[in-house]
Amino acid sequence: MSTGNEFDTDMIETLGPELTVFVGLLLIMIVPNLGNGTFRIPSTSIRLPWFFGGTRFKAVASPRLPGLLAVLTMALALFQVVWYLLDATPADGQDIMAGGIFIFKVNMFSRIFEAIFFAALLLAAIASLDRLPIGSQKSDDIDVLFNNRRQADFYILMLTSALGMSVVALAQDMFVLFVGLELASFSTYILVAFHKESRAGSEGGAKYFIVGSVASAVGLYGLSMLYLWAGSLQFHELAAQWEAQGATSLSMMALGFVLVGFAFKISAAPFHFAAPDAYSGANSPVAGVLATASKAMGMLGLMRVLLIITVPEANADGSAIWIGLLGVLAAVTMTWGNIAALGSENPKRMLAYSSVAHAGYMLAALTAIGAWNWGLVDDAGDAMDVVVAALIFHMFVLVFFKLGAFLVLGVLEMEGGASRLSSLAGLGKREPLIAVAMFLFMISLAGVPPMAGFLSKLLIIMGIVEVATGTGSLASIGDAHWVWWLALLMVINSAISMFYYLRIGVVMYFHEPEEGRKGPLASGASIRIAIALCAIGTVAFGLVGGELIDLCRDAAESLR
Amino acid sequence: MNIDYLSMLVVLPILASIFLLILTSRLNPTARAKFDAPVRMAAFIISLAMFGIATLMFLGQIGDVGWNDIAFNTFEFQESYVWIEQLDITWTVGVDGLSFPMVWLTTLLMPITIIATWNEKAGATYFPLMLMLGGALIGVFVALDMFMFYVFWELTLIPMFFMILKWGGKDRKYAAQKFFIYTFTASVIMLLGLLTMYFLMDTQTFSMQEMVVQASGANASGVWLGLEVQKVLFIMLMLGFLVKLPAAPFHTWLPDAHVQAPTGGSMMLAGVMLKMGAYGMFRLPISLFPHALEEFQFIIMMIGLVSLVWGAIVCLGQTNLKKMVAYSSVSHMGVILLGIASMQPLGWAAALFMMFAHGIISPMLFAVCGAFKHHYHSMEIGAMRGMAKHSPWLATSMMFGWMASLGLPLLAGFVAELMLMVAYWYAYGWWIIFPGLVLAITAAYYLWSMQRTIFEGGEATQPPESLHGEPVPDIDNTEKIAMLLLAAFTIVFGIMPWIFLDMMDMWTRSAMAFLGLGGA
Repeated sequence: MSTGNEFDTDMIETLGPELTVFVGLLLIMIVPNLGNGTFRIPSTSIRLPWFFGGTRFKAVASPRLPGLLAVLTMALALFQVVWYLLDATPADGQDIMAGGIFIFKVNMFSRIFEAIFFAALLLAAIASLDRLPIGSQKSDDIDVLFNNRRQADFYILMLTSALGMSVVALAQDMFVLFVGLELASFSTYILVAFHKESRAGSEGGAKYFIVGSVASAVGLYGLSMLYLWAGSLQFHELAAQWEAQGATSLSMMALGFVLVGFAFKISAAPFHFAAPDAYSGANSPVAGVLATASKAMGMLGLMRVLLIITVPEANADGSAIWIGLLGVLAAVTMTWGNIAALGSENPKRMLAYSSVAHAGYMLAALTAIGAWNWGLVDDAGDAMDVVVAALIFHMFVLVFFKLGAFLVLGVLEMEGGASRLSSLAGLGKREPLIAVAMFLFMISLAGVPPMAGFLSKLLIIMGIVEVATGTGSLASIGDAHWVWWLALLMVINSAISMFYYLRIGVVMYFHEPEEGRKGPLASGASIRIAIALCAIGTVAFGLVGGELIDLCRDAAESLR
Repeated sequence: MNIDYLSMLVVLPILASIFLLILTSRLNPTARAKFDAPVRMAAFIISLAMFGIATLMFLGQIGDVGWNDIAFNTFEFQESYVWIEQLDITWTVGVDGLSFPMVWLTTLLMPITIIATWNEKAGATYFPLMLMLGGALIGVFVALDMFMFYVFWELTLIPMFFMILKWGGKDRKYAAQKFFIYTFTASVIMLLGLLTMYFLMDTQTFSMQEMVVQASGANASGVWLGLEVQKVLFIMLMLGFLVKLPAAPFHTWLPDAHVQAPTGGSMMLAGVMLKMGAYGMFRLPISLFPHALEEFQFIIMMIGLVSLVWGAIVCLGQTNLKKMVAYSSVSHMGVILLGIASMQPLGWAAALFMMFAHGIISPMLFAVCGAFKHHYHSMEIGAMRGMAKHSPWLATSMMFGWMASLGLPLLAGFVAELMLMVAYWYAYGWWIIFPGLVLAITAAYYLWSMQRTIFEGGEATQPPESLHGEPVPDIDNTEKIAMLLLAAFTIVFGIMPWIFLDMMDMWTRSAMAFLGLGGA
């Protein structure tokens, strides 16, 4: 472990992307309010210009400004993160300490998650430029004024959630992690309810908030118990305690409660009930962020807790103590998600359930890591790296096709709703390119080669199978570790999921469009650009994902 | 200069099809209709060029290959490039006596199918899809890397899915989704089997060639996998291929897909796509797990027999011409399984030749069905009578196709069936009664359907009601050309089967010797 820095000037270099987001946040708050306002020195008549309030300058008065600022900020932050990743090696790591306590750790693992968050938020921000109605500045209509005013609010919330997520990625302390998690969560609660055009928006937001805060409270309770047990919330302290004391009833209970908090974030069954309502209520780019970045954040938390703190082998065969529980959770989540998605007529709910199913696949991979010390594997660390890398890769490419699918629905929302399957009808004739992109996203979600979704699913299954088969001298398949059966369940589930993904294709290409939705869609250059970026990513990472896999492996290696 | 012709055969049509599709994607339907003819011509020229390349390869003009001396697990025109380095995934292509006839067959069928469906509607989309399908099919046959194999295996589904959906019959949505989901389900299970096998290898590799060497070495020393694991993996792999083949009881997607698919789709589906299943069986499970094959020999034989008998009996009851032909495909694919289960070099060669012969004959049958649909607007067997009078061309083609399919001597199908019967007799003795009986049933349903459509009606010919009193047409010139070509090739390979049979024979004998199976 490299030496830690106290907060000092180095920090600006080390925490560049986070500071970029922070500055961007301040700018969005300040810049749109710049004007010719003056300040009168009390009891004199001297007025000093202080540029706040008053009549706003023309250059900053545009309601589009906050959106553009947010996009620039996210792009800059993403650029910095990618720059770091291309340069770094797994051994790199920089600790940031305060008062002898590890606060943050900057290494490839945390940075690659930040790349996921920023990429998702960047795409969503680009798409929202068109998605949020903006009226003429000259209009006196109160709705238009109101819409123009709330531009800033929306993007401020986006950036705060970015900030919260990056805190989660960097955190080395359970408490810091929790603060970041809540910052991101609260922003997303409001973002979900921000969709005022539809009544489902506020309902979804309220549900999401209530369930989410209960889950957070349970998680917080778990944290307090962990503190009671270990006397510290530092990851390395907790890991040392776990190694020294093993699993006690107190620590197990604490762990269980903490898991509930994260399971809600990744919408694992049975904590997923709010997700379909939230996704279908939220406006589509936001729903896409929930399904990608927010989920990656939950997964990150799970990894930190399960792999850093508790992985030292607890069971007799060297597997982790939570492996059975997580295995059941994975099996239930993927099956439940898929079966529920089969019956969803609302494409957004369908995507929400499909994302529940994907959470199940990811949990299955985590379960396999739990079996990492399974007596047969040559080098346990290698197997773990492979699975963690597969998970990171999956979450990374998920940004492209999951978010992309939501953005396509977002285009449809612009002309009045995408809450019925039939609103997709005839898209193949109306907008061939968008329909092709949607079809690519769908088959990628289902895992059809050569899309990125296939490669990611392949990596996950490969990881599970590698752990399960061990060194390879099996006498019968029953001798493989039972996580092998999770892989089998996963492929069967993929086959089930094919049905509802294909149905989207059939509806798009072979159903007549609804009345009043015949011609090409409303224009929206930026959301189209975002969709195109997603489609390119979906195909490109499927065909030539090698570099990204390398990056994910390095990142996985730096977790240890 | 070293040109990688095999990769070209795969990449060229796929890239061309994507290019053509993008070219016309932004146009409105009327503007796109103007592109139908140029796009069709481009697709036709590309497919002809592919056929030319494959033929020149065979004739030794491109690369000087002794086709009849290619031993098991050696490949010609082998080229390898790194694809995804991090996972040791490569783009490796190569052909041997097992795959080359299939590659050649695909390149042959592509131009013929384009000719036969020359006037298909929305050609600007249809013909590029045909090219993509052809490229993906060749990709399956030439891939020597497991990952690449799987990618192309799945890629074939996408153009076929759209062909059925867009140009299909009344229940096309149901049929297309059923087709996709059946084969996808089977192939993901196959994928898990492949991956499990991958990790059980001593040296993990996606190279099929390397895997076969490792498996045989390990099998010889008896240390690799327990027989139990071999059996499980064998089942998982076979499942994927049996559904594709299709064999009873997994065959139910086929009649639906065929009846709803457009003529061109049916021709490619029956001609080449079904063969992917048989090809995959030989390439993976049989080459890797010969001991498991011995264990399951009888079960495979029974599956084959049930497909054969069941397909034939169901044919007897069909009133829809295309459905009858589809079930006859199921029946013929059963023959391939019987050939595999005979565990004789002769039987395997019979299976390989059946793949090839059925690949020429069944497109002709479907072309005939398509012509019926096109000109009579009906596929009901009883709807048309005395066709010999009013459309002699169609009647002749139908008769020729039907005869070829039921195994008339001097035609390609006969060679395969005869070889199979001999091998089967050696392997199972009096069980031969069942396939023998099926031959009789096959003759019965073919002759009966011909009698009802071609001859019955005598002098007072009775045009089908679906024409509503319009004059009875004969088939188009393009359809005539396609039928003539297919008929010619059926005769050529009936009289001179050794053109491809020699290399198949070499492959099967060396495979049996290599795997330590059968009497070889």
